Amino acid sequence: MERREFLRTCGTLITGGGLASLGGVLGSKASAVEGETMWQIDPERCLQCGRCETECVMRVSAVKCFHANQVCGYCDLCGGYYREGVKELNTAAENLMCPTGAITRRFVEEPYFEYTIDEDLCNGCGKCVKGCSSFGNGSLFLQIQQERCLQCNECSIAKVCVSGAIQRVPVGTAYKLKDHA
Amino acid sequence: MSPRTVRLITLATAVVWMVVIVVWYLYNPSANLTSFEPGADMRPEGTERKSDEVRIGEFFMAHEDVAMPPAALSDSWAGFRGPNRTGIVTHTIPISLMEGDFQTMWTIETGEGHAAPAIWRGRVYVLDYDERLSSDALRCLSLTTGEELWRRWYRVPMKRNHGFSRTIPCVSPDGQVVTIGPEGHVMACDAMTGKLLWTIDMKRRYGSEVPFWYAGQCPLVSGDELVLAPAGKDTLMVGIDVLTGITRWWAPNVAGLKMSHSSVMPMTLGGTRTYVYAGVGGVCGVAADGDARGQVLWTAKGWQPSVIAPSPMQIDNRRVLLVAGYGAGGALLEVNHGGIGWTATISEQYKAEQGLSSEQQTPILYGGDMILTILPKNGGGMRERICIYNPSDLHHTVWNSASDERFGLGPYVVVDGRLFALKESGELYVYQLERGGMTLLRHQTVLPDGADAWGPMAYADGMLLLRDATRIICLKISEG
Repeated sequence: MERREFLRTCGTLITGGGLASLGGVLGSKASAVEGETMWQIDPERCLQCGRCETECVMRVSAVKCFHANQVCGYCDLCGGYYREGVKELNTAAENLMCPTGAITRRFVEEPYFEYTIDEDLCNGCGKCVKGCSSFGNGSLFLQIQQERCLQCNECSIAKVCVSGAIQRVPVGTAYKLKDHA
Repeated sequence: MSPRTVRLITLATAVVWMVVIVVWYLYNPSANLTSFEPGADMRPEGTERKSDEVRIGEFFMAHEDVAMPPAALSDSWAGFRGPNRTGIVTHTIPISLMEGDFQTMWTIETGEGHAAPAIWRGRVYVLDYDERLSSDALRCLSLTTGEELWRRWYRVPMKRNHGFSRTIPCVSPDGQVVTIGPEGHVMACDAMTGKLLWTIDMKRRYGSEVPFWYAGQCPLVSGDELVLAPAGKDTLMVGIDVLTGITRWWAPNVAGLKMSHSSVMPMTLGGTRTYVYAGVGGVCGVAADGDARGQVLWTAKGWQPSVIAPSPMQIDNRRVLLVAGYGAGGALLEVNHGGIGWTATISEQYKAEQGLSSEQQTPILYGGDMILTILPKNGGGMRERICIYNPSDLHHTVWNSASDERFGLGPYVVVDGRLFALKESGELYVYQLERGGMTLLRHQTVLPDGADAWGPMAYADGMLLLRDATRIICLKISEG
């Protein structure tokens, strides 16, 4: 066998084997999740009690704040952005509701602002959600970020959730998004 | 230890310390911190919000998914003390006197305060205060469900002082709802849609001094005219087109009255329709009609409590009852129009323990011969009880409630010949009004664990609205 032919054969085997392995993995994954369920929060039942932040087994909770842009009022005076009794309406840290600075906003046009959640910074405390839902359109809501969730057999947050908002949902509808309501 | 070893140890120590110093110098413990400073949202320069800047009515939110109230609800309690500002409902459907409690139709949470609702065409209007957003909020609710239809609000930072909210909105016959906020901000909106019509900042425009415990003046709409008593530097009272906000007339504040917690009361005195206002420093009457409209007809300075919450109450064509709390007691104002023009004199005045008085609620004149009141806490042995006086004798009660029926600063209203009185702790008493007295029909705890239930009640379409410091409830009191 010539060296060129040897290399082509090896390359073909490696590529083919890789593709076959990948197909196998994906296939097994697909068959494994078919009919399975995942943990998720029902925003309609969530009371924003704060336990999602403290009870998750992850070091930083897998629960994150989601933002439905279609629902948002783009308010300047946003109850989810500014903390209670704020003195000044600006972006200084002492005025902000989010303890981790996960919410940023950008001026669109007077008097509208676009809000964005930095998922890496969000700790799932729900303070912004409470603020938005009690004096706003409720565009901020909590969801379990499935890529971060370990899918424990017994969710430690669900065990203490006072409203029973955390339930298992089909994989096909792993999120309860307000944009799609 | 050999000198070589000593040198090695010394050298090693020096190297370690050098490494420590270099690491300490190079390490930045705050490298991962992000500073949040003003301007990060790219707000254009010059549009920054000042901490004390108020843009009245700037925010609006409608709940389009909430069902509108039935069109059949046409009754109204359009402002302070109802349609005629008397605290009496004259046309109503029969009250249920069956056994069992009145049914609570709905309950809503409010910001801390005492602002009571107005009702118009199945809609409830309340000027709430949201402490979290430091905002006055005019909320429009469905009378049948309590669900919010819309709200219009504006930021006005305040400090708690017996809560925040105070006043009752007023709705014009043509459907404009007007509010006065605790800091004297006047806002007019379309009562159906919540569209902002016009605004006035009474402190800025008139130089009004908002009294301690905030403004308690409830707006008065007479026909298509809003009557305000800013009692400011130059302006005592103004008449404003309720649709456009244009000033029609204004009365000069020659007497130098200051704003009280009292409201403007329309009366016909000496045959002339008059707007009567009890300010701090005196009582005045302003012509409401004709060529003299806006003219200060008379001023009486013989009775000057430092705090006045109740409003003047007309007794007859020439007499006006004045009451106030904190020991001020009461006074009788007599207004005459004769050859020398208008005269207004305080014909008698007395301390709280000596006769008819009230600290916060305005008494009710019922049937022409009964004045109903709740005596203030310094009203002697009858303190905080419901007392009835004859207008001809303001010092001796005709009737009084039992010793355990003390109501504090609670409100009361007459519906269909019955007095509904609310203890400030949330217990509702219903009395049958009779000649010379009352009979207790029933009582019911309607606001469990209630506190500071001081806001006046409102009634329309068989529904009675009541509130304490943090919630409003709707009771169905009619039959059927």
